[in-house]
Amino acid sequence: MMSRLAKKSPSLCTDQPLDNTDICNKLYLLRHLLTSCFGPRGRLKQVHNNIGGRVVTTSTSSVLLSAVSSSQPFINLIKISILNHVSRFSDCGLFAAILCLSIIERAKQSGLRGSVVIKVNKYLLDLCTCYLQQEDCGVRVKLDFCSSQNLIKLARSSISSKPACVLTEQETLHISRLAVQAFLLTVPCNSPGTTVTLGKTVIVSVEGHSVLSSSVFPGLLVDMPDVFHLNNMEYLHSNPLRMVLFSASLAGDLSELGDGRIEMHPGVDTDSQILDQLLELGKQVVKDEVKLFVCQKVIHPVLQQYLRSRGIIVIERLGITLMEPLTQLTGAQPVATLHTTIPPQAYGKVRDLTIRQFGSKTMLHLQPPGESAICTMILSHRNETMLSELKVVCQKTEHVLRFTLREPSALLGGGCTETHLAAYVRHKSMKEATEALSSLGCSQTDYLLGIEGFCRSLESVATALEHDDGKSLLDLTHAHHWTLPADVMKEHMEHNLGPCGCGLVESIPDKKWTYLHTKYPQISPAPLARDTAVQPRVLDSFTAKVNALQVAVETANLALDVRYVIHDMN
Amino acid sequence: MPGSTIINHRQHVGLQKLSALAGISHSSLGPNKKYKFIQDDASGDSTLVCSCFRIFESLELTCAVGQLVHETIQAHQKVYHTGSGCMLFLAGAWSHAALECLQRGISVAQIILAMSEGMDICLDVCKKSSVSTEGLGVEQPESCTKTSARLGLQMSKKPIGDASQTSCHLQETKTNGHKTLNGSVQRKIKLSRHSYEAKSENVSTILQPHQPKHPDIAHIAEGLSHGCVDAMNLVVEASRIQTKNNQHDVSCSTFDVNKVTSCVLLGLSEEHSCVTPGCIVTLSAEQASVAHHLKEQHLKVALINGDLSDSYRHLGFNRPTGVQRVTAPSDLSSSSKEEEWIEKVVTLLLKLEVNLILISGLASEKLILRCCRYGILVVEKVMASVLKAFATATGAVPVTYATQLSKHCVGIEVTVAIWGDLSSHERRPSTTVNISTGGNSDLVTVILTSCVHGKLQALEDQFWACAYRLHHALRDKAILPGAGLTEMLCIHHLQEQAERTVRHYRERNGDSAQQTKAGTTANPCSGVVLHLMADGLIDYISTVLVNTGGISKVGARTAVSQQLRDYKEGVGFAAKFSQLFLEGEQDGSAASISMKSSEAPAVKIYDNLSVKQEAWRKALDVVFLVLQADAEIITGIDQKTDGAQGNLMLL
Repeated sequence: MMSRLAKKSPSLCTDQPLDNTDICNKLYLLRHLLTSCFGPRGRLKQVHNNIGGRVVTTSTSSVLLSAVSSSQPFINLIKISILNHVSRFSDCGLFAAILCLSIIERAKQSGLRGSVVIKVNKYLLDLCTCYLQQEDCGVRVKLDFCSSQNLIKLARSSISSKPACVLTEQETLHISRLAVQAFLLTVPCNSPGTTVTLGKTVIVSVEGHSVLSSSVFPGLLVDMPDVFHLNNMEYLHSNPLRMVLFSASLAGDLSELGDGRIEMHPGVDTDSQILDQLLELGKQVVKDEVKLFVCQKVIHPVLQQYLRSRGIIVIERLGITLMEPLTQLTGAQPVATLHTTIPPQAYGKVRDLTIRQFGSKTMLHLQPPGESAICTMILSHRNETMLSELKVVCQKTEHVLRFTLREPSALLGGGCTETHLAAYVRHKSMKEATEALSSLGCSQTDYLLGIEGFCRSLESVATALEHDDGKSLLDLTHAHHWTLPADVMKEHMEHNLGPCGCGLVESIPDKKWTYLHTKYPQISPAPLARDTAVQPRVLDSFTAKVNALQVAVETANLALDVRYVIHDMN
Repeated sequence: MPGSTIINHRQHVGLQKLSALAGISHSSLGPNKKYKFIQDDASGDSTLVCSCFRIFESLELTCAVGQLVHETIQAHQKVYHTGSGCMLFLAGAWSHAALECLQRGISVAQIILAMSEGMDICLDVCKKSSVSTEGLGVEQPESCTKTSARLGLQMSKKPIGDASQTSCHLQETKTNGHKTLNGSVQRKIKLSRHSYEAKSENVSTILQPHQPKHPDIAHIAEGLSHGCVDAMNLVVEASRIQTKNNQHDVSCSTFDVNKVTSCVLLGLSEEHSCVTPGCIVTLSAEQASVAHHLKEQHLKVALINGDLSDSYRHLGFNRPTGVQRVTAPSDLSSSSKEEEWIEKVVTLLLKLEVNLILISGLASEKLILRCCRYGILVVEKVMASVLKAFATATGAVPVTYATQLSKHCVGIEVTVAIWGDLSSHERRPSTTVNISTGGNSDLVTVILTSCVHGKLQALEDQFWACAYRLHHALRDKAILPGAGLTEMLCIHHLQEQAERTVRHYRERNGDSAQQTKAGTTANPCSGVVLHLMADGLIDYISTVLVNTGGISKVGARTAVSQQLRDYKEGVGFAAKFSQLFLEGEQDGSAASISMKSSEAPAVKIYDNLSVKQEAWRKALDVVFLVLQADAEIITGIDQKTDGAQGNLMLL
């Protein structure tokens, strides 16, 4: 035990971590890494280990940040904070990370004392969140559940923001529609009471096929790898069938015993005794007229044969992830032991068993006996890399869509929310400067510097959307975000500017623009007249973005507040 | 403390790597495949490989791009079994094109946009130039020749469309002339190579009543052989046997790739390769003597899914770890426990009158010997698909344990015939027997023979590539004109579109007063990108031409560009061009020398529709993934040791 004898190395203490060049360089590197991934034109990262493990190509914050680990606890603090947001809200992880790191960097550049920046940031964050909740907020769009158009747009923005999926326009639309369809299927139609329990979408991925062959089915699809036994399926339609679900292993082994030693007489044949027990179980199931027998784990082949010979469909190795959806779908209670008789209330019901074929996968489609909010999404893509990214994106989209039930709003995408919000904060904070100064207790210069840092950080999230050297612009009426391609001069701008980032504002000749990150006259961003003819093209999740904004500012404030980093070196 | 490292790729190393990796594919394109040796420096082992897929399998690349390519090739191979070489080549060629674009200052977003547009054009060309397999290759009287050729023109508008509507469109197609690109050119080459006139208006109005015709498998297969004539002949033979066995519909020729198995035999020359109905297996001497006793009898068969031994347990069965047997001195030893099991199994088998056991896994040595004594033939390592075929044909039910066997699990009406005795050819005595099920299953075995051990794998791969090419053609119900014709059409369309874009852009910029919405303007760089994409395809065709033989790279390029020029002037792709492929092929392969006689009809070359489309798309997918990746993140780096490298940044 050499390690016990080794001398304990002293802990490493870093004073004022933000003054440390190494930490600053790493923060800068992390910001660049994440900024380069942002948005539909973001760059991808190939994540792998140094011993030739699988390569993951991605630009998704959840995958990236969980792969990245730093020797600096300070970096990990920020990383964990963002990952925590992503685990709860799925979306806007990169937004939060870029904003947080920008705020830290700009606070550092401004030379302001940490405590001042923290106070100003808090104040400005409140301004932002209040404004976003307001009825007349210029960047919030009410979602209308009478039409699926806005939902599809929201899904589309979420899906198209990840280029590693490599989807064509048509494919993006197809997946967006499926995501919305799946979401709608998970909303129960008539549940009594005020609390609604949402169902679940199970995603099954099938590699090597066209994206357009992806589809959504109500109910559950489970793998039927054993192709030998699919002949007696014809009569299993329409009538609800009784089914049983086991969570215990029925492999016939002694796995339940756990560790420890057992001494056994050689004459004892445990295998055949357990098998007898299993067959008893089989007899009961046959007597109780069960037609579908499902087990989370392995079923002994002899039991399988017995059940099949009596016309029962057997599914083994269901896996832990499908257990909950299946209990929801069928109303069955998983049986956890094979040593007692199965209580009658443990049985569930299914309707309409059909065999479906997806590429090389044969699946059994189970429909609920009545109303149920479980659905299955079959996702196909041409290779594993793109398919795994697509799966992550679809899960994220499902989450985003679910938030719309709690808060039926969305924010304008394409960087417009950020530029608009920055313009609003600049305007509003100046209007209320006197009150703010007295409550914050700082000088006007500090206040102005703080505002500038905050607003520029917001704007730099909008500029982060551009990766091909295009210039970011801001119009001086609505403060929406525009992008000018790299090779176009400002003089020819009018011909080369499309609509703004979110697609709500069209380019008109007498409009005034300014480059982002330059000084521009203060404007009160005018809300757009709600013209129903023009609809935004890009929408972001309201709930996720508002929370991301809070997480970003609070994490930045926490980071700015850190005085010492004590690193245990053992 | 593990950290992460980021390598920043400013120079687009990924694209360069992809381009370099694709170099591997060059020699495996075209009808004349060249073998490669892959040698392991550490162990001194070497393998002989012939296909891209096998090369990547043996190389074990660890770099990110290498892995991505390997993963894509595997995914493609798993479904299509052919076309990986084409995919890799184009991935390389188009990554080269992307690199060139970047050097010219075109942004990543613009490249992706334009290349996607280019892919749409190419896929559209494929769709339009595809030829229905229905009635293809059926000889028709000369008067109908031109009609059918024009018919192809019609299909260009309505791919694989309803041919019964053709008559009303015929007038229109006459005037269409060469504006529509399609497979009809290819068909003319086939049907009337010498009498072909481009501007012929002599369209016969005699239309045959159009009935759905069954595809002429032999003809399609010949066109899809791509130089592997021998392998394809075996496929055709397999299809012929399956068709004969298919009692439901004798007129319809079929091919079910799932009912084909392959069996490789070392020690016979390659001419001995053949196809036989049933399932061919190799047996040891003891088993062979049992087989001799069983021949010409109606046998009862048992199917075992797993191993046949005392100690075998089904998948997912966990052996208890902490169990200790308390043994008394008088107890039986473990070997006699096996004896007991064998006794039980043999008694059961005899009771059920089983003569033949097919096992997907292995059987215990002792049991095989005991079974031999009782005249029961045990065959190991039988493929799952074969077990399934026997299950359906004989009514047997596959079981995991022999003890599960009961009367209704046993199948009947199986026969065993001695197929060949190789004991004189080789040191190891081995006999091959044919196990068949009295004609009601389509199971067919292809026996591939070679004297060179290293070649067996390649021969098997080639056979399966051919089998799947036919399979996909029949499933797609359409094929593409091959010999580079489809690619030529794609090049033509890409270049045309490129010129259109440039023209459009120039016009728009000349007229500056004109107000256009920026969102709708054509990408000004897309012309360049499309041109470079077309160059990738030109490179592909010329490489195939070079590999076909008898022509240099420069010569090949000249021939291709000459053809493209001619085509633009309305001459059409001459038969001469596709003959370039054929002549080379004939030089290379002695088997097809008879084709050279001028009296013989020219061989048609076809490509698979879905395979080509998927290979192209996957190639572009890889390029896009690599093009958009700007950094590598390596996790689990020990910062103390690896931190010194220059291009690494530590987090």
